[in-house]
Amino acid sequence: MANVLDKLLSLDRRWIFLLVLLCVGTPIVLPIGLPVATTGSTRAAFDYIEALKPGDYVWISFDYGPSSAPENDPMAEAILRQCFAKKIRVIVCAFYPLGGLGLATNSLAKVTAQFPNVRYGEDYVNLGYKDGAAAAMRRLGENIAEAFPADVNGTSLTQIPIMKGVRSIRQVQLVVSVATGVIGEYWITQVHSQIGTPIIIGPTAVAAPKYYAYLNAGQLVGMLGGMKGAAEYEKLLSARYPDMARFYQTTRGFTATKGMDGQTVIHAVIILFILIGNIAYMSRRAAQKKGA
Amino acid sequence: MNLEFGRLALVLLFAIIPVVGIALGINSPGLRARIPLLVAFFAGAIPIISLYVPKKFLSGPTGMSPRLDQWLIIVYAFAILLGVVNVLQNSTRKIARRESGWPFSIVLLVGLFATGGAGIYGAVSRHGITSLPDGTATPFKWIQDQFFQPLQSTIFALLAFFMASAAFRAFRARNTEATILLFAGGLVMAGRVPLLEFLAAPFPPLQPAAAGASQALGKLTEWIMDTPNGAAQSGIIIGAALGASSMAIRVILGIERGYLGLGRGE
Repeated sequence: MANVLDKLLSLDRRWIFLLVLLCVGTPIVLPIGLPVATTGSTRAAFDYIEALKPGDYVWISFDYGPSSAPENDPMAEAILRQCFAKKIRVIVCAFYPLGGLGLATNSLAKVTAQFPNVRYGEDYVNLGYKDGAAAAMRRLGENIAEAFPADVNGTSLTQIPIMKGVRSIRQVQLVVSVATGVIGEYWITQVHSQIGTPIIIGPTAVAAPKYYAYLNAGQLVGMLGGMKGAAEYEKLLSARYPDMARFYQTTRGFTATKGMDGQTVIHAVIILFILIGNIAYMSRRAAQKKGA
Repeated sequence: MNLEFGRLALVLLFAIIPVVGIALGINSPGLRARIPLLVAFFAGAIPIISLYVPKKFLSGPTGMSPRLDQWLIIVYAFAILLGVVNVLQNSTRKIARRESGWPFSIVLLVGLFATGGAGIYGAVSRHGITSLPDGTATPFKWIQDQFFQPLQSTIFALLAFFMASAAFRAFRARNTEATILLFAGGLVMAGRVPLLEFLAAPFPPLQPAAAGASQALGKLTEWIMDTPNGAAQSGIIIGAALGASSMAIRVILGIERGYLGLGRGE
């Protein structure tokens, strides 16, 4: 037995890499369709947007890059779909320098293609990227045009119909920050704490633990934690809107629900690795004690 | 009248005083150190005072504090320029000296100039950096979609392989603390995904029990994240904020001077 465990511990790491590749890749190609249970923080986020009225404003900030897109893209796209389905007006921006704007543009293009009645400049606007996230957020409280004088195409905000009804972020009903790093915290400290605008955060699973402190303190109205949160949101959206259910069941594109299959399998494999590693470690330690 | 006072004060504090200081500091090392301290004091003190003193020249829409915020956005943009200069200096030096890995520096510089050039072209041609009116991608967006995004995704995806390997070789219950961490980590990993349903999938009679157990595990996971994790995170956040505040006070009062990069005797 000890011999087998020793052999396992000295296994060439390329075998482990191959196993990981198969465990992640297979469920993406051949989805299992595992059930996803919803949590309170995701339901709170969904219900808050559901309670908004048509014509209300939601500000969605793309504060992540391509490195975490498989986790964050499904969140942003699910929230965009919910807003457009409810005829909520959407203002989009990006504060993440490494590709936030590109992902915002791609997600908007993907989601607006599903909603032919949604018009740029009337139902949504893309304000583009701005450097200096915290300082820019402080300016949003006074005058959005001071931080974003024009949209991503260079059109002045005064010429964009959707921006005529909103001068500062105080007139926005909700901010959603889909975030990979510290920018989500800036929204809480600079906008919620100083201006009072409600915030929903969609962090990566790695960043999610710190946001529980803000959630418990009542500084967030909801949170979508990692790919699990995104998959929960897709489930809630599918349950509420039959069109969305059809879309999520039939789409060939990547969704968080599909991603959860791969994540479940790889979690099982990693837990198995940890167990094997620890059994081998303990048996080796026991043998050493016996020898001594 | 108040507004003009604010403007004049900003020009005096952040333009006239620094320029005079630089001029006088050429012959006086002591003065060269004191003028930046003065600028740092006012840059730090004005936003704080504006929170407590509701005067228009300080915190009004065009007051001193909002103007400093606007300046900060511009200063951030210059930080990017500083980064570009740094990359240029380091990479050209590496190429000139044929240091180890110098061909990668050529790739870096080509990427920098191609992407930066495409961005500047987008600004000059007024096409922007996203899509053209006919829906096709601008050169900048093409580079981003075809190179930057796949490369970033690939680098991050490699993490899964190393994490699995590290879990196998390094995540050990060596002492009490490590055992608690291992146990809590294992529970959260199992509870955040439908693991039990997955394991019970080949055994239909076990599936209802697995679903019930999975629900209980999910609730336990949420409790771990909400309560012990939430409490610890609050402590960390409060501690970090207090640390940052004390450091800010040290900088504002001129006790902390490391950022000035001064030599001995200055």
